Amino acid sequence: MLGATYSLLGIGLTLVFGLMNVVNFAHGEFYTLGAYATFAALVLGSVNFFLAIPIAIVVGAAAGALCDRVLLRPLRGASIDTVMLVMIGVWIAMQNAELLGWGGVAKNIPTPLPTQPLTAGPVSVAPLRLFVFVVSGLLILGAHLVLAKTKLGRAMRATFQDRETAALMGVSIDRIHTITFAFGAGLAAAAGALLGPVFLLYPSMGDLASLKAFSVVILGGLGNFAGAALGGLVLGIAEELGAGYISSGYRDAVGFIIIVVVLLLRPAGLFARAERVG
Amino acid sequence: MLALERVTARYGAVTALRDVSLTVGVGEFVCLIGANGAGKSTTLKAISGLVPAAAGRIRFDGYDIHGLAPQEILKRGIAHCPEGRRVFPYMTVDENLAMGAYVRRDVAGVAADLERVFTHFPILAERRRQPAGTLSGGEQQMLAIGRALMARPRLILFDEPSLGLAPTVVETVFAIIAGIQREGTTVLMVEQNAYVALQLASRAYVMETGRIVLEGPARALADDEHVKRAYLGG
Ligand SMILES: Nc1ncnc2c1ncn2[C@@H]1O[C@H](COP(=O)(O)OP(=O)(O)O)[C@@H](O)[C@H]1O
Ligand SMILES: [Mg+2]
Repeated sequence: MLGATYSLLGIGLTLVFGLMNVVNFAHGEFYTLGAYATFAALVLGSVNFFLAIPIAIVVGAAAGALCDRVLLRPLRGASIDTVMLVMIGVWIAMQNAELLGWGGVAKNIPTPLPTQPLTAGPVSVAPLRLFVFVVSGLLILGAHLVLAKTKLGRAMRATFQDRETAALMGVSIDRIHTITFAFGAGLAAAAGALLGPVFLLYPSMGDLASLKAFSVVILGGLGNFAGAALGGLVLGIAEELGAGYISSGYRDAVGFIIIVVVLLLRPAGLFARAERVG
Repeated sequence: MLALERVTARYGAVTALRDVSLTVGVGEFVCLIGANGAGKSTTLKAISGLVPAAAGRIRFDGYDIHGLAPQEILKRGIAHCPEGRRVFPYMTVDENLAMGAYVRRDVAGVAADLERVFTHFPILAERRRQPAGTLSGGEQQMLAIGRALMARPRLILFDEPSLGLAPTVVETVFAIIAGIQREGTTVLMVEQNAYVALQLASRAYVMETGRIVLEGPARALADDEHVKRAYLGG
């Protein structure tokens, strides 16, 4: 169930890497931002949870756009290592800003849905988890449709496949980069908003999210949208099975074991094809 | 229509163009020939805004377009059909053509131009939903030309349209380009195949190591001793 949010995280990361050639170490911070934005909207702004989710997405996307405009745009054409270092800086800065703003004490978003599990035959699931799954699925579908069917998505894919020729077609590469980064940050924030009521909120919560996102991208292949969507689900399921059959303490380890195995056997990613759509 | 005045362009420390001046008049077919690395592609990139000119002036319809972003130059009516075709390989033929019309807002005009491209290139009509990367080299070149036409330009820059194509296909491609020019679109073409280029064009420029070294009517250049020796293999 939670695998779908891993997909959201992975898609954001893989798009930013594939299109912009930026390794976004601060990705998890947009997840954290989404969670805290939900908390703020809910507790301080007293809007309801369902409205808080889009608010969190908008906040995350806006922060992403700002980050690109201010920090990444001047670095276009800089080496990937330079940009990587800057993103590590953003990671540290955002995490400490969250610590400053919210304090080190974990926060809790009250569950917006009944806790009574829904049962259908032998299967039972908590309504909140089902909700997280469904909304994540819809967001992934939406992201896919934007990329596959809209003029903006076409320009993003063209930029991904051949930046110089896309510019010749009249695509503003700077604008596409800002939109892509905002898109990725918005998806990460969505994951944070959705998982907010499932877990506790604390300033360094994004680190684990970043790890999961990187794992998903490695599983799915760098720059591969469908690979990231499936990779997230695979990672989620593997973790559930590992936690269920071995021990819940092994939950996070299982994911990493799988990644090591995949990298050994299929270094281009589990779902690597010749085609990378973006 | 187009005038470059003493244009210089650099890639870092490498000076690719030195004081390049050339003009293209309305309706003309002008070609630019020269050896590999002479700076022909860079000249076209300077015109379309991909490579900023370090010095000099580039005017189109009398307006200074030097320093404008590529999309602004495209909107003014200059399309660039790049070297090596550069179709978007994972996008379908339809999507590639749609990218050609990216800056246009006139939906009806775009639809009409799409029909026109399919009439000119029936093979593309048969492959509309096929990824461009799966087309043959000749088909990709037709797609690249069709994509440039989708911008409804007044001037098209062609960069080595015959590169890497089979001889029979080369003939077709040149016939298409000649047709485009006859129908009223101005053409500036870069070619290594100097023999054909000088037959098609009315005027020509010869470029060597970043400079224009010769210019004149294409027929006169075809008879020039230096051109014959260096570019026509005789
Ligand atoms: N992206 C680039 N970076 C650095 N140097 C380049 C680049 N593109 C071309 N050059 C150099 O500029 C010169 C002219 O290249 P180009 O315009 O592509 O020549 P042509 O099209 O006539 O073969 C060559 O010396 C080439 O090595
Ligand atoms: Mg060239």
